[in-house]
Formats: sequence, structure tokens, C-alpha cells
Amino acid sequence: MLETEGLTKSFKGKKAVEGVSLYLDKGESVGLLGPNGAGKSTTISMISTLARPTSGDVRLNGKSVVKDPSAMRSVLGVVPQEIALYEELTAHENLQFFGQIYGLSGKPLETAIQHVLKLVGLEDRQKETVKTYSGGMKRRVNIAAAMMHKPDVIIMDEPTVGIDPQSRSYILEMVRRLNKEEGLTVLYTSHYMEEVERLCDRVYIMDHGSIIASGTKDELKRILSGEETVWIELDRAYPELFAELKMNEHIIQAAETEKGIKLIIPKGKRMLAEIFQLAERHQAQILNVNVQTPSLEDVFLHLTGRKLRD
Amino acid sequence: MISVFLLQWQRFRRAPFMVLSFLTLSVVFIGVMAGANTGNSLTIPAYADASLSETQQAEWLTELNRSDNLSFVLVSEGEARQDVVDGDSRMALQLLADDYRLLVVADDPARFEVESYINQVYIRELRIRELEEQSAAVDVRERLDGMLEEPAMTVSTASLDGGEDTFVYDGQLQMLFGMSLFFSVYTILFSLMKIVEEKQFGTWNRLILSPLKKWQIYLGHMAYSFSVGYLQIVLVILLFKYLFNFDVGNQFGLLLLITAVYTFSIVALGMLVMGLVRTPQQLQAVVPILATGMAMIGGAFWPIELVSNNILLAISKVLPMTYGLDALKSVSIYGEGLAALYEPLSIMLLIGVVLMGVGINAMERKA
Ligand SMILES: Nc1ncnc2c1ncn2[C@@H]1O[C@H](COP(=O)(O)OP(=O)(O)OP(=O)(O)O)[C@@H](O)[C@H]1O
Ligand SMILES: [Mg+2]
Repeated sequence: MLETEGLTKSFKGKKAVEGVSLYLDKGESVGLLGPNGAGKSTTISMISTLARPTSGDVRLNGKSVVKDPSAMRSVLGVVPQEIALYEELTAHENLQFFGQIYGLSGKPLETAIQHVLKLVGLEDRQKETVKTYSGGMKRRVNIAAAMMHKPDVIIMDEPTVGIDPQSRSYILEMVRRLNKEEGLTVLYTSHYMEEVERLCDRVYIMDHGSIIASGTKDELKRILSGEETVWIELDRAYPELFAELKMNEHIIQAAETEKGIKLIIPKGKRMLAEIFQLAERHQAQILNVNVQTPSLEDVFLHLTGRKLRD
Repeated sequence: MISVFLLQWQRFRRAPFMVLSFLTLSVVFIGVMAGANTGNSLTIPAYADASLSETQQAEWLTELNRSDNLSFVLVSEGEARQDVVDGDSRMALQLLADDYRLLVVADDPARFEVESYINQVYIRELRIRELEEQSAAVDVRERLDGMLEEPAMTVSTASLDGGEDTFVYDGQLQMLFGMSLFFSVYTILFSLMKIVEEKQFGTWNRLILSPLKKWQIYLGHMAYSFSVGYLQIVLVILLFKYLFNFDVGNQFGLLLLITAVYTFSIVALGMLVMGLVRTPQQLQAVVPILATGMAMIGGAFWPIELVSNNILLAISKVLPMTYGLDALKSVSIYGEGLAALYEPLSIMLLIGVVLMGVGINAMERKA
């Protein structure tokens, strides 16, 4: 329903976003992942018609919204990266105003306010000024304000930045519900891998203004050459066992660690039984076995040679 | 537009401190400074040399002592000078046959008021004498005194306005209008600052994404700043009119009209400033400089009539404050009617429209 084609934005000749093409189908939850300064916010402001692309196009149901943004604005809810609220007013008063500017009044307005307050779980404290809220609560009102006009698509720009883990998981759960239960189409921006892994069906990975990879989570992870890491924790060192594992033709790499042995093996090769047998034979006592599959974090690392957050 | 306007009032109710402090400041300043001008009347020692007979001296003194605020006492020259030197008196007056000298401690601000008053008395008296000499009638003075009681005579007072070197200086009203217009600049500009804040904190984008048109958002903000500034000025004038019995004339409607046009032009000026600054912090630095500068040159602190520097006078011609004060004073002091206001009002409107156009343009370009 929503797509962009070759979106590019330059600030004084410097390209902040270059050639970004992405799409959102109805009811999908899509992640836009990238480190600080990747161009996520800039991309979002172009999609939400707040900034004009230097080149490229944004289309809603096949119609360009660059020239006439009104169609986009009526179906879109935008949760900005900053807390865009009037802090001296209460949550209720903020929502009241943001409803009024969409033409709501009277009973429908109050119903809408209570509806979104319930979604973000702030019904009890709606009469308190936003100033007195915790960071997490402010973030929730920030989301609520974007939903007063019942948008079909919601774009969230790092809605969990700088808040405690509890509020964070509350918001994540809320977004998941909005998507799965209320059928909202979600574009979720973050530089937290875990969030995107948990929430999104598809992911775009951005770096230096461009999309460097995209696809479903599994598709992305398959980018990594099929390897797995197996950590085996032992009660003490077993040099003979280690030597034998090292000789094994299927094991790519074996290394002794402080607590035991670390093996890198081809993905999908069922080797655990063989490893257990070997341990049995050397009368080694296994305390713990841990098999790690790659995360999106590893994908990012693989693609850029850098960690997402540093 | 209405909702944006009402929202600002809602926010004002939660954080009224800033506006109220400017309101209080104007009241305090006017109270202290204009109060000092009237409350304790100033006593000025006067002396004359042999060129004036004792009757003549007494005549002058009677004329001079018609003022409510100033009282003149006849003393010897030595005493008068000693008083001034000792600081017992702020100034002394030397009476001459048809002229006077004022002995003033350096830079006493009250001297403008006193001098203009004495000047007035002298000019009036000398004109009457001239009349007496020219006309055969003996009772010129009596007839004139009779006429002075009649309202028609106000017109002849007004004719003094614009005459060389004379202007009616009403310290109270000068202070009242000057300070209320001065402090309203702060209130209006800081109220408009909410636009800059909205842009900085991101609520602006929410407004832009809503069905509101951009002009509605601007208009809502401007209407709010206009109404706060306007109410502030009107409240101050009302307060001093009714509580402290300041005589602001009997054309209150015209004062309201002038204030409205003035407030509009300051809102427009504010829009230009908003277009030029990037952050509220910058604005906080700019506003005091701008307000004080305008007040000094535009005649809010002292009457523009005392300024003789041509450059400053030229600048004063493009400041709404100059025209606002001029109009307010001409209505309340000289009793001028609407006809005399066409020029200052239309100039303020023109300045306003130009500044607003440039300002909104600058703001949009920046975005
Ligand atoms: N108004 C602007 N003027 C100049 N440069 C800008 C402007 N806005 C963004 N940029 C630049 O564009 C690049 C992308 O910024 P953007 O805010 O889109 O990144 P982001 O992915 O949202 O980062 P973050 O995770 O920190 O929010 C940055 O290098 C930034 O400095
Ligand atoms: Mg960002």
C-alpha cells in the first residue's frame, strides 16, 4: 500500500539518504534498522511528507504523495523520535488538542482519548501533567498522540530510546498488539536488533544513507555463511578429548576456553550426538552446552564489519 | 486556528509566570516613577535681581504656583544657590524681566518636566502681555482667565503642540504609556517564542501533519500573542486610570484602537524576529536588546522631543513605538480626535504588514 522509490535527500550537497526503495503491505510490521546517523529519521520524514525528497518518490496506493501530501497525512500516524508534547499540560489535555486539530470534538473526541489511553495503559494518570511523567510514560503518550485520528499506518521513530527495560517491553508488546490485533501497518525504526527481531516480519537494514540488506528475518540471517558456534562447558580440562575433537574432519575450528571447549561447525550438520559420545568415552562431565545461531546483530556485523551500537 | 489559539491560553494558565511578571514590572515601574513625579511635590527656590520689582516678582510666582506638582518660593540669590549646592534643592530658578534661568544639579531627570512647565508659563504670560499691549482693552487678562475655564480653551492649549521648543510634558502619562508599551514588547515576543519552541520540540510537525493549514497555525499563535500583549497594556492603563486616577483623557475608545494597532505591529515585528533566530536561547538574548533599544529611541523612557540626534530621530521614524506613543499622548494629553490618528495608525499598520510578510517568509525559508 505504501512504497518509496529511490528516495534521496541531500543537506547542503551532503547526501543523508540515498536511493532508498522500500514498501509496506497492509497489516505488515516492517523494521528499519540502522546505527546512529544512518538516515532513518530523514527517510521517515520524507515518507511522512514532512520533508521533500531531493529526488525519488513516495507513493500511497500507487499515487505519489510528494506533490499532494493530504492523502498520506490522513492515513498516517507518526511517532517522532523526540517527545513532541506540551509538557505543562496533562496527557488528557494533550490528546484532546491533538484530536481537535483532526476535527474531533464532543463525545467522539472523549471516546478516542479514552481508547488510546487504554492502548498505552495510562488511563489512571491521564489528569497529571506530562512534565511529571517518567520517560517511559512520556513515550507512551507520544505514541498515543499519533493515534488519535485512527491512522491505518503508524511510523515509529525509535519509540523506546532512552527508557527503562520495563517500559520498553511494555511498548514493544503494545506495538505488537496494535499490529496483530488492531491490524495497524507498522514501520518501526530502531537501532536495537532485539526489538526488530521481536516485532517485525520484514526488515530493512540501513547504513550510511542506503539500504544494505532487506528481507524477512530468516532471509537476512541466511546471508551469513552457514555456521554455528557450540560452547561446551566441562568440569575440568580434558586434553585428549580436545585433541580428538580437533582432529575431527567436520569441525571447522576448535578452541580451548576457560570453562571448556568452543567449536565452530557447519550449520545444519547434526554433530551434537557425536560430541556427546566422544565426551562419554573420555569420561568427561558436561555441565552445559550452548548452540548459538546468528542474530541480526551478527548480520549487521557481517555486512558492515561494525557493531550496531558503538 | 481557534484550537491553536485556545491551546496557548491553556498553556498560559499552567505557566502564567512570565507574562504576569512583565505585567507586574510595568505596574511597579510606572507606580514608582510616575508616583515620584506627583506624590511629593517639588519645591523650587526662586530669586530675582533688581530688574524685577517686588510686585512683578510676586506676579510671576503666582503664575508659576498654579501647578499642582511644583511649588516655587521666593528667596535670596545666595540662599537659592546654597540650597542647590547643599543638595537641599534639586534646582533653583532665576527670574528675569521676560526670561528665566534654571539652575540644575547635573542630570536631574526632573528638569525636563520642570523646565517645560516653566517655559509654558512664561510663554503664556508673555503672550498675554503682548496682547495687552496691542489691544486697547484693559480686561484682556480677566477675559482670558474666564476663557481658560471654558473647554474651548483646551483647543488653544493644543495649539502649543508643535510650536518651536514647547511641548506639553505630562510625566505621569509619559511613564504610563512608555512603560506599558515597553514591557508589552517582552510579553509579545516571548509569547511568540512558542512557535520557535514548537519547531524545536517537534509538536510543530504534529500540527503540520494534521489537517490544519500552515496559516491557521501561524494565525492561532499570532492571535494569542496579540491578545496577551493587548490585555497587558489595557489592564495597566485601566489600573492607573481607576486606581491611581491618572488623567488619560476622555477618549478611551481611541486609546484602545491605538493600542490594538500598536500591538499588531509588535506582533509583526516579533514574527520577523522569530524568522531570524534559530533557538529560544538566541531569542532570550535578542529580545531585551531589541526592547530596550526601541524604547530608548522610540521615546518610551523619555519623550522623543528631547532627542536631537538626527540618526536616532531617523531610526525612530521606523519604530512602531514612536508612533504608538505619539498617538496615545496626542489623544490623552492634547485631546486629539481620530482625524489626527490616521497618519500614525496607518504607518504602524504598514510597518506591521511589511514586517510580518518578511518574517513569515524568513521562517518558511529556514524550515
Ligand atoms: N536538517 C539537517 N541538516 C543537515 N544534516 C542533517 C539534517 N538532518 C539530518 N542530517 C544528517 O543526515 C544524516 C542522517 O540523519 P538521521 O537523523 O536521518 O539519522 P538517524 O538514522 O535517524 O540517526 P539516529 O539513530 O541518531 O536518530 C546524519 O549524518 C545527519 O547529520
Ligand atoms: Mg533518528
